[in-house]
Amino acid sequence: MQSKKSPFTRRSFLKTSLAAAAGAASLPKASYAFRPPHTAKYIRYNVTSEGGKRALESYARGIQAMLSLPPSNPQNWFRNAFVHLMDCPHGNWWFYVWHRAYCGYFEETIRNLSKDPTFAMPYWDWTVLPEIPQTMFDGVLTPTDKAYEPYTRTLDVFTAFIKPALMTYWNSLDSPQRKQLSIRGYNTFDAMWNDVTGNGVPGDMCFATTANARYLSRTNPKLDPATAKNCSPEVIEAGLKPIKYYDPDVSLSFTSTKTPSHTTPPGAGTKFSTIEGFPHNKVHNYIGGVGPLNPGPYGNMTNFLSPVDPIFHLHHSNIDRLWTVWTRKQESIGQPILPPEPDRTTLSNEEFLFFVNGSGQFVGPSRALEYLSTARFDYQYEPGFGDQEISKMTQKRGKTQVKGVIKGNRATLTLPSSAIKEHIAAAGATLVSEVTVPHPSSGTQTREFHVLVGAPEGETADPTSSPYFAGTIAFFGDMTHGHGKTGDATFAVPLPKTPQAFKGLAATNATVEIRIVPAYGQTQPLLKSATVRAL
Amino acid sequence: MLFANLLAFALLVQTGSAPGRVVNLVLPRSLTEGEGLAAELTLGVLERGAEIQVETMSGKLLGVISPHGIRSGHEAGTYTVPVPVEAISNNRVSLRIIRNRHPRGKRAPTPQELKSVKLTITPGNS
Repeated sequence: MQSKKSPFTRRSFLKTSLAAAAGAASLPKASYAFRPPHTAKYIRYNVTSEGGKRALESYARGIQAMLSLPPSNPQNWFRNAFVHLMDCPHGNWWFYVWHRAYCGYFEETIRNLSKDPTFAMPYWDWTVLPEIPQTMFDGVLTPTDKAYEPYTRTLDVFTAFIKPALMTYWNSLDSPQRKQLSIRGYNTFDAMWNDVTGNGVPGDMCFATTANARYLSRTNPKLDPATAKNCSPEVIEAGLKPIKYYDPDVSLSFTSTKTPSHTTPPGAGTKFSTIEGFPHNKVHNYIGGVGPLNPGPYGNMTNFLSPVDPIFHLHHSNIDRLWTVWTRKQESIGQPILPPEPDRTTLSNEEFLFFVNGSGQFVGPSRALEYLSTARFDYQYEPGFGDQEISKMTQKRGKTQVKGVIKGNRATLTLPSSAIKEHIAAAGATLVSEVTVPHPSSGTQTREFHVLVGAPEGETADPTSSPYFAGTIAFFGDMTHGHGKTGDATFAVPLPKTPQAFKGLAATNATVEIRIVPAYGQTQPLLKSATVRAL
Repeated sequence: MLFANLLAFALLVQTGSAPGRVVNLVLPRSLTEGEGLAAELTLGVLERGAEIQVETMSGKLLGVISPHGIRSGHEAGTYTVPVPVEAISNNRVSLRIIRNRHPRGKRAPTPQELKSVKLTITPGNS
């Protein structure tokens, strides 16, 4: 179900992403123009909304079911937390995508075990509500509940319960899994188990007793001023501001450091992005009691068994929501949502080896690219903090739009030559076109179109290597699209950065011609509208 | 001369009465419309539970670095905290950086704990 002015479909995104991973020589630039679906199958509600409260009831049933499973079952509550301990990335550019996958599979598990086919994990918008929602102190929604005592009353109890099954699992791991664990510093089972016990350092202990599992309580639910500051509008807006998925200069980067592996431990040289480094880290640590409980042991949220605390998933749902907000912002201003090649392929091809799906099966090797969009788990978020803020950013840009005069499959417009020269000279694109075409109908063979700028009539050479090539817009999947109702689709395509694409640059204003041609087949596309705006 | 000395004294009193290290930073250039400012702090090894607090000289809290996922004995990495434009005066920014570890209290970070601070201009989205 799409609105009339249809966005780039999620399937289109997947197609172009797959092409990237396959090492396609020329990736369609228009794949940057991903917009999330208007209606996904599952809605992740704000936890304070009615939908969020209903979801918590199912969440609690699912937790209870997971607690009841034997430790040999990978869907056991604590076994699920060990996936995080063994594999979670922090301080690197896979932070967002790995947690999206981990939380997505977990969501499927809760959906199945709670027998609520509509379940989706609610999010906790700590910018708006800087305290743990009261409902998260009910029953099994807090790890201090008595339901956890049979497993976490003491470290000895926990060890007797989980260690034998965990060791059996460890012994079943294959060579690629062991290699990733080794990068993390887990060359042996004991090395991993040392992180559970802290190996004599209380603050390093990932295990927390039931009584000590969460520092904040029903009567003391508020984030302290320092943590609230890290979640404040000014910090979150700063975190959403970067226009690159990754940049070595972390102040320009939405994500943290590019590392050789997602299991590379953070340390010297790690650069934390604002959202990971400030709200993410501080909320984790404060809920675990960093500060008040120094020198430890801390509650679960401080260390890598943090998913033992059910608040973990609401926290990460909000982090993931902010990624979707950033993605929409990028799309709105015509900026990429992924890094350029070859980084994109490197990012996409990273293998994740430890996930368990909603049926309790090991997923086996899967790649980051499968989780770069929300399509894999088919959800969207109820609006929260950040949505209005990115709208303001977008509105400011609308003032510099220039609309083209349409004739057939081409648009002609006039731009200041100085703006074009600036665009050509800049490191990134400063001029972006928005091209609107009708969604192909069922039976249409041509589903991909090249966008050319200033191309001579009859240009037939491979356009993707020509100086006139701006990008390829692609539709993917079922063209019946809303039961035969076709809408328009708009794609943001940066203009080429080659002087050949622009004529008359010596004059004050230059004429720019934007044309779309079929990438294959004969169907001539109809251009509905084309505008160019300066970034 | 007397006036200058009084000013210097006042500055010393201010610095001495509040914990932390004051860093004075010069912007590489003036900001243009839509641009923002951030302070990039590179940390060394911090004791478990220790945090780094960043404030303006007027005491406004800008953010708290609370290392997460860092193994004991490892450096804590680099963090970028947004700095409001109101903190800029004559193309300069002064920040107070405090190392806090409850219950031992606040103090200035050592050079081993705070390795560097620099200002970066962040581009606008508009």
